[in-house]
Amino acid sequence: MGEAPDLSDEQFVELLRNMIMIRSLDGRMLKLQRAGRVGFVGTATGLEASLVGAAAPLLPKDWMWSGLREGGAAITRGLPLFEYVAQMYCNSNDSAKGRQMCNHFQHKGSNYPSWSSVIGTQITHGVGAAYASALRGEDVVHSIHFGDGATSSNGFHSGLNLAGVWKAPCVFVCIDNGWAISVSSAQQTAAESYADKAQAYGMPGVTVDGNDVLAVYAEMQTAVERARAGGGPSLVVLKTYRMLGHSSSDDPSKYRDDAEVQSWAERDPLKRYEAFLIERGLIDSSECAAQEKAIVAEIDEVIHEQEAAPPFPLRSLVEDVYSEVPRHLRVQFNQFLEVAERRGDATRGDGAFPL
Amino acid sequence: MIEFKLPDIGEGTAEGEIVKWLVSAGDAVKEHQAIVEVMTDKATVEVPAPADGTITELLVGEGDIVPVGDVIFRLDNGGGAPAQESAPEAAAAPAAPAAPAAPAAPAAPAAPAAPAAVAPQPASSGGKVLAVPSARRVARELSVDLSTVAGSGRNGVIRRADVEAAATGGAAAPSSHPVVAPTTAQAQRIPFRGVRRKIAEAMVRSSQTAVHFTIVEEVDVTDLVRVRQKAKAIGAEQGIKVTFMPFIMKAVANGLMKFPMLNGHLDEQAEEIVLPGTVNLGIATDTPNGLIVPVISQVESKGLLQLAAELGDLSERTRAGRVRPEELRGSTFSITNAGNIGGTIATPIINFPDIAILGVHRIVKRPGVVDTPEGEVIEVRQYMNFSCSVDHRLADGADAARFVAYLRQILEEPALLSL
Repeated sequence: MGEAPDLSDEQFVELLRNMIMIRSLDGRMLKLQRAGRVGFVGTATGLEASLVGAAAPLLPKDWMWSGLREGGAAITRGLPLFEYVAQMYCNSNDSAKGRQMCNHFQHKGSNYPSWSSVIGTQITHGVGAAYASALRGEDVVHSIHFGDGATSSNGFHSGLNLAGVWKAPCVFVCIDNGWAISVSSAQQTAAESYADKAQAYGMPGVTVDGNDVLAVYAEMQTAVERARAGGGPSLVVLKTYRMLGHSSSDDPSKYRDDAEVQSWAERDPLKRYEAFLIERGLIDSSECAAQEKAIVAEIDEVIHEQEAAPPFPLRSLVEDVYSEVPRHLRVQFNQFLEVAERRGDATRGDGAFPL
Repeated sequence: MIEFKLPDIGEGTAEGEIVKWLVSAGDAVKEHQAIVEVMTDKATVEVPAPADGTITELLVGEGDIVPVGDVIFRLDNGGGAPAQESAPEAAAAPAAPAAPAAPAAPAAPAAPAAPAAVAPQPASSGGKVLAVPSARRVARELSVDLSTVAGSGRNGVIRRADVEAAATGGAAAPSSHPVVAPTTAQAQRIPFRGVRRKIAEAMVRSSQTAVHFTIVEEVDVTDLVRVRQKAKAIGAEQGIKVTFMPFIMKAVANGLMKFPMLNGHLDEQAEEIVLPGTVNLGIATDTPNGLIVPVISQVESKGLLQLAAELGDLSERTRAGRVRPEELRGSTFSITNAGNIGGTIATPIINFPDIAILGVHRIVKRPGVVDTPEGEVIEVRQYMNFSCSVDHRLADGADAARFVAYLRQILEEPALLSL
């Protein structure tokens, strides 16, 4: 493990709890997906240290611009567990109102904007927002997360280039998990390291052991403080490994070796951090299992509660774009409702619009 | 009771193979406990129990290929009422293991009178065969040409079972579609492509844009028949085949020089009616590939024999498919003679964006009233009808009436053609 940052005992243990939460959530969501209860899951198993360590140095007022696997990090910053699960079910408690695919989280309360499946778009969005924060004189840092594959996107170049020019208060967090779906890093870039790319944009670039939550924390803290002090952006590459498929639709055994997966299993971020905490005397060897049990029970309770929640009323389909639903949409909706009623898909609150 | 349907475990998978049951009927299971291993085109995964309970029935066997949405096991979760999770249509028969029921065919809104419309179609459209990846692999292994396989999956997608059935020469996969035995009078479904489609697009554009009206004129061509007979002999000396068409073309050219508002086209972008002052006649020609309209230009300045020669050459090359693209462009007016086969009048569709078109009908013998120095007498006369369609946006009925009246005048007295 890297040099321990200056944290309280509670903060040290909190990092562990957050990592266990992410792993437990992944396990449960994947089970739900396999049983056809939710549609799609992108897990962060193996990346827990990279998520938790990167999010922890941010202040509540800071912003986090995410990719597919950062949902767990949002939980550590205040996204309620029930909202996370509601989003997976796209039910009536989903703050995105079912208008996002599963596993596409958002949380206004912790400045966690909804993300797009289109690779790398959050980079330019985040840079723009960071620039705006600077122009407004806000003391806010924007942490922009993306994968190794996104370094080949237009957004990466445009975003890092302008952030460098503008000295935007942001940190680029590249989660290099070795594989962009089935494209290996060797196929992705001829550069020695993704961090080398920072040089071209006039900012510091650093590669960190992404399976060491304390090392991640320390480097992120440096980068966040630099951004907050007006020193401009940096690129922090977290070298880690996605232990499961790209998503619930992917079979990684088709493109990577068991030996490679095994070598990373031996570097499991949770086990490493657990060993550190035990050695430091902050927990005993039963702590992890006990925490996991409690967390899984909490998750299951939330799942059952959210599974029972109704979907959004059908009429939400035509709301929120116009202040008053215009006639052509009301006509269409009423026709749609007839079909839905015939099929038994309509529920309370779906009533037709008066024309 | 929960009827557990095989979920779409990989964003758009169509079916899964039951690899291995991890429980037996009667087993008590916990929520999230692995129940069955399923292999899809994308991955092999363990499908877990949706709730605590007792497995009451496993409905499919290991090795079976099951469409997504079929009930694969029943789980008593103490919930009483049956079919808790099943969709309304899901009361699938406890499938005999060998017969994965095809997903219910979507009720075809298509013409109920056409049984051929629901016959299994090779799932090819435009050369693209729709098949799930495992079906493609099996097809390669068994050397089955996928374009010959009828698909029983959703939207005619070929499933693995279809390929296997095709390979063994058996009937296609279990299917609700009746197989229609070929007969000589079988209904056909012909791909709507190529020239036919181009013609259709041109016709739709014309009929939906131009405001067609048609005026029909009867012309006494008794004298023209006689003149043409003589011209035919003269043409033959030079190896030129002289039909009636050059006379009609000449008359049309003369008429259009006199009534230029029917000769040209509308330039919609410029919002201008273009009247070019020269007559380029499109001649609708029936070819093995369909209707093609080659153009003979500057008809007003050419003699009858020259027109006959050009027409013979152009129509021969058009039928042989050797017409050059530039010879198919630039018409200012068109003539169609499809009516010479039958019919007495027609409503020709304008060769868009021309202003007008003339349909030429066959010559018929009929009694006619003729003025002679001895007074009116009834004679055997020969008549030809002309159907002229005009875009009413650009010209009016009076223009068209004057034009066809003028055609009649000069064709009834062929000497006037030299005007």
